[in-house]
Amino acid sequence: MSEALKKSNAEPVPTVGTVGTIVDGHYAPPPEDKHGKIWVRTSALIHADARDLYEMWRDVEKIPLWQEQIVSVTRTGKTISHWVMRSGDDGNSIEWDSEILTDEPGRRIAWRSVGGESDNAGEVVFEPSPGGRATMVTVLQEFRMGKLTSLCESIIGRNPKQAVIENLRHFKALAETGEIPRTQGQPHGPRGRIAGMKESAYGEKITTPPGLNRKAS
Amino acid sequence: MKALCWMGSGKVEVHTVSDPTLLNPHDAIIKITRTAICGSDLHLFDGFIPTMEEGDILGHEFMGIVEEVGKEVNNLQRGDRVVVPFTIACGKCEFCRKKIWSACDNTNPNAHLMEAVYGYSGSGLFGYSHMMGGYAGGQAQYVRVPFANVGPLKIESDLPDEKVLFLSDIFPTGFMAAENAHIQENDIVAVWGCGPVGQFAIASAFILGAARVVAIDRLPERLGMARSIGAVTVDYSEEGMSVLTALKDLTGGIGPDSCIDAVGLEAHSAQLQGMYDKVKTTLMLGTDRASVLRQAIQAVRKGGTVSIPGVYGGLLDKVPFGAAFGKGITMKMGQTNMHTYMKPLLGRIEKGQIDPTYIISHRISLEDAPEMYKVWRDKEQKVTKIVIDPWAA
Repeated sequence: MSEALKKSNAEPVPTVGTVGTIVDGHYAPPPEDKHGKIWVRTSALIHADARDLYEMWRDVEKIPLWQEQIVSVTRTGKTISHWVMRSGDDGNSIEWDSEILTDEPGRRIAWRSVGGESDNAGEVVFEPSPGGRATMVTVLQEFRMGKLTSLCESIIGRNPKQAVIENLRHFKALAETGEIPRTQGQPHGPRGRIAGMKESAYGEKITTPPGLNRKAS
Repeated sequence: MKALCWMGSGKVEVHTVSDPTLLNPHDAIIKITRTAICGSDLHLFDGFIPTMEEGDILGHEFMGIVEEVGKEVNNLQRGDRVVVPFTIACGKCEFCRKKIWSACDNTNPNAHLMEAVYGYSGSGLFGYSHMMGGYAGGQAQYVRVPFANVGPLKIESDLPDEKVLFLSDIFPTGFMAAENAHIQENDIVAVWGCGPVGQFAIASAFILGAARVVAIDRLPERLGMARSIGAVTVDYSEEGMSVLTALKDLTGGIGPDSCIDAVGLEAHSAQLQGMYDKVKTTLMLGTDRASVLRQAIQAVRKGGTVSIPGVYGGLLDKVPFGAAFGKGITMKMGQTNMHTYMKPLLGRIEKGQIDPTYIISHRISLEDAPEMYKVWRDKEQKVTKIVIDPWAA
């Protein structure tokens, strides 16, 4: 039956898909949150070359230009970097080291934190989308509930899962257009107390990362 | 600068605010020479669109002179005269490449708000709630235009502002409504709502080959305007009027080939269901009043098309989906893919095929705008289109 089915554009189904999205031809949902660990998996279709996207992600010291709340990333070794993240409006920050575990140029990067105030691990895969129309970028990130996650939720009003989604969105906008869309700094009339509450609820108080090309004029 | 701000449901005020500045490399600052109030601004005024914040600058139909451009804007320079589309598009993402500009992936900084409600986010819009990006609008003296390398249409002829201003939204919106209606040569088309979008949908239906257009409204000045461009009119509020019967009588019993709902979520109805929708939206059991859409679905002929340029924002109740399925109809809708239509429609204006100024009923200053929002909503005067000169005293 399936032999006779005409599939003029069909591609072979991958046996192991992106960060566990397809396993033996079957869709696998992201891992469940349990035992104090939370997971987020998100993907974006980006019109850019996989190799360029890999390079942009791998350039760790420039990550503060497109990831929210990251103050600085400093390379301290071949695969180790030191991360500083803002934790609220009061100038406090948290710090940790991150180690790259897998580095496949143009295709995949995996990392985990090693010590410090955040316990996280993640993976990003760059691959052609079905039909090859663009590059599909998939991120799988895992956090252990701790200072980082509770700070995110209580102070900056963005839970860590949403932060991963927003960071991939910023990455895509920057890769495709050369800038990250923003409204912070535009004029407005008098804001009342309710507008202030709405701004927090909508995540508008989180500073939009500057982008690589920040200077407008 | 002076700007018209939304200060709560039913409340708009002129405030002095800071001038906009370039925030991104593809931005431009435009000095606004003419702007307009859109029927969809009344949905904001009435509080039908969620995620507005006190102090938001309204306005998405505007044009003006380029004051300053960001370092990545190479197609415009200071002094250029431009009309700006109300949707913001990056020109690079999957959707812009497909020319579904209003679905642009990269221009809504608050995309997550729209994803939560709609599944995916559309493009950012000027002055139209934070779910749609929270961009400051153009009922003001200056505006910041993101992706100015993609959106603004340069006007190089000496046509007056008023003749080209409506390329910013309502003329392309009316035209796309007619195109979405799949009009074939000699078709019969029904248009609900003879406001500006309805007017341009009627004109566009004729341009695309309709033999007859039936226009439905209740306001005599609007019906008169529709007759003036060749439509047959139906006043749904007349005693004993059944729009469905009227449309059968006017089509030999088969119904219009295409129906265009140019009204949207704040439809009025003379019938009991109008009262029902009003109660439901007041109690927040439904968000949108759907009486026109219901009627359009029932009225359209078997295998016909319903095109919806009227804005819907949330949940609709009692939509006759059985009728839609039973007749095998096509429905097409959505925010206008502005960037596809602006240039060809400018061509039609330049050739004199249409003069969009015929819909203008009021020319006012920014200071008069708060009052005019009320006048228009309450239909106290015969209002069809209000154009604002933000520099007039």
